[in-house]
Amino acid sequence: MSFFQRGQKQEAEDLQDEFNDYTKYLEQASDDENIRKAISRAVKAYRETTSKTMARYPHTPELAAEVREIKNYSVAHQKELLKQAMESVERNHGKAFYAKDKNQALMIAKEIIGTGKTVVKGKSMLGEELHIREFLENEGNDVWETDLGEFILQLKKDRPMHILSPAIHVPREKVAEIFSDFFKKEVEPDIAKEVAVVREFMRDKYFSADVGISGSNVVAADTGAFVIIENEGNVRLATSAPPIHLLFVGIEKIVPTFQDAMKVAEVTWRYAQYPIPAYVSIITGPSKTGDIEKVTTYGAHGPREFYVIFVDNGRSAMADHDDYKQALHCLRCGGCMYECPVFEVVAGHFGETYLGGIGTIWDVFVAGGLDKEAPQIYSCLRCGRCVERCGMQINVPDMIGKLRNQLTSGQVLD
Amino acid sequence: MATQPVEAQNHVERKLPATLEIIRGNILKHGNPLALKGTEVGSWAKGMNLPKTGDLLFYTGGEYQLLPFIDSLVKTMTVMDQGSKAFSMMIGARNILDKVGISAEKMYASVLASDKERFQTICGKAAGLLQSLGYQLCYSGDEELYSGALLYELGYWDDLKEYAPRVQQVIQKSGAKTLVCLSPHAAEVLKFVYPKVGIDLNVEIKTFVELVWEKRHNLKPVPNAPTVVIHDSCRLARELHITQELRDILTASGVQFREAQQHGEWTTCCGGPTKIVFPQLSHTMAGRRVDELKATGADLILTSCPYCLSALEGALEKNDKNQVIDLIEFLYRGIA
Repeated sequence: MSFFQRGQKQEAEDLQDEFNDYTKYLEQASDDENIRKAISRAVKAYRETTSKTMARYPHTPELAAEVREIKNYSVAHQKELLKQAMESVERNHGKAFYAKDKNQALMIAKEIIGTGKTVVKGKSMLGEELHIREFLENEGNDVWETDLGEFILQLKKDRPMHILSPAIHVPREKVAEIFSDFFKKEVEPDIAKEVAVVREFMRDKYFSADVGISGSNVVAADTGAFVIIENEGNVRLATSAPPIHLLFVGIEKIVPTFQDAMKVAEVTWRYAQYPIPAYVSIITGPSKTGDIEKVTTYGAHGPREFYVIFVDNGRSAMADHDDYKQALHCLRCGGCMYECPVFEVVAGHFGETYLGGIGTIWDVFVAGGLDKEAPQIYSCLRCGRCVERCGMQINVPDMIGKLRNQLTSGQVLD
Repeated sequence: MATQPVEAQNHVERKLPATLEIIRGNILKHGNPLALKGTEVGSWAKGMNLPKTGDLLFYTGGEYQLLPFIDSLVKTMTVMDQGSKAFSMMIGARNILDKVGISAEKMYASVLASDKERFQTICGKAAGLLQSLGYQLCYSGDEELYSGALLYELGYWDDLKEYAPRVQQVIQKSGAKTLVCLSPHAAEVLKFVYPKVGIDLNVEIKTFVELVWEKRHNLKPVPNAPTVVIHDSCRLARELHITQELRDILTASGVQFREAQQHGEWTTCCGGPTKIVFPQLSHTMAGRRVDELKATGADLILTSCPYCLSALEGALEKNDKNQVIDLIEFLYRGIA
């Protein structure tokens, strides 16, 4: 039975209700003044900053072309690269795991973390895909989102509305309300003060936490180097202060060499509008020292244990599918979302776990399957502006067309 | 050792929203997404005496003609729950669709005569313009069939495979070497998609814009032209890569134009493509695009795509001082 046939019903699937529900959901979002205000500001800022950044670093499109080749190669050699990356982790005194699906990934995490622990977590879309926080909380752990945007959503019990700026739809006034309620003291709707109050609260959590969790933007198979791009500094703290670092990463993030990884990283942040991010962490294993008698000892100032869970959850199915494997080239820079007219109206409501047109293709493979995502598949305009923006030139409209064809012709993906 | 062949569950029945199935059914059965009759589609050509054969085939695809009906359909959908019984009754239940189809004329008798008139005459204006530039046109008249662009767009590719040869037959009957499309959607599908479904039309596919551009130096100036802003259609700009041509045409007609911040290959979609599934959302997107275009301070929004024309116009306020006009209508002012 192929990946997508699991759970398929035999009788005709009537998708009208799904379309009706989704329509209402989108219409509500499009009436939301907060979304309208926030997204239109964000789009304007993104375009301005990106055009300045690209002008200052004009080699970027050429570098992006190189990265396209790297991704092409990596998707074609996914299995070998995974094996190599896992060996590198072990060589570097970390522990590497492979999880074929969401459930396996969570079970491994449960094994490592157990219960009754304090966990600090960095922002990760894979984390959203696996619902890591909710899972660990149910297992009796105290889990804190350390990224400011994710923290706001954690308190608001909401989901990300953009992959890089998850709380893009929440204006400062609303943030002040949420924080005042949580911290049980008056927090003014002043962004600097809002940032400060979280900084103070989190500081303590980093150092009392048992486990730090992070994702990774790109992985070098040859060296086992995990690259993490960030601006807040929360990932640095969350991955250095606790005694255990647990890293989740999708297998599509693996590229052959350290040099390749650097190219991917630069292109990722550049298309995400940054000239250079505040922090780029390269993590390869547990912290160590050889300062006394040249004897290597693990667990110096940083974590003494380093675990990596390589997550498949539909990615190898995507890699095996000629029509959709290009979606694995996505660097998650988020640029396309700012160009999507649907996204501009409804923000992350156009998407389930991943967002926008490219997110729809991802959701089909990792989140819901073809039938569940049908309304989303039909909400893409196929207007093609995302392709103009995409450094990887991912042909989303083409793939959306193919998904529609699968839907109308009663095909299942195999 | 030979293994037992595994019976693959490679098929699942799905019911998609009624509107999709209706449009599909209409194209297959009536050669038009809204089941307009050939006589209705071709009525604009009465009295023009266009021959049925020739080198250059004028192809409307019936797209401008169906615009006023699409809007009625959308208005119906906007006020009704598509899943409701009443909607199915109104729109025609799927099982009776196969027998009788949907008669757009009957259903949308309320369509304004002025709208019908406007969109019907666009085809005549386009033909008149091309003739005034020295092109000799032929036209398939009542026999002309819709390109099937929506079959492609909505994912009915197997149906397109069966439908396209019928279109091919009509086109080839004309003996034309070149075909000129009024709609960029038709041009895209005939040019790029037909070959993918194994149809070689053996004619050169061009758009109205390209033909005008080639003879732009013969264009008559457009009198008393207000300030114009160009809305590039997605298909024209990003699939067919036609952007500068529009500007050249306006310059040749002595018309001043402004550019929206998002123009050319960065143009913003009018929202039209999702109109039949998510009408309200589509309307909001059209409004946003109109705002972008209005921000230039221009009085007239000019486009060259039937769906952009309809979507953007639908987003104007009542008594809006701005207007949306198709390139065809605009240039026709020069020869009217």
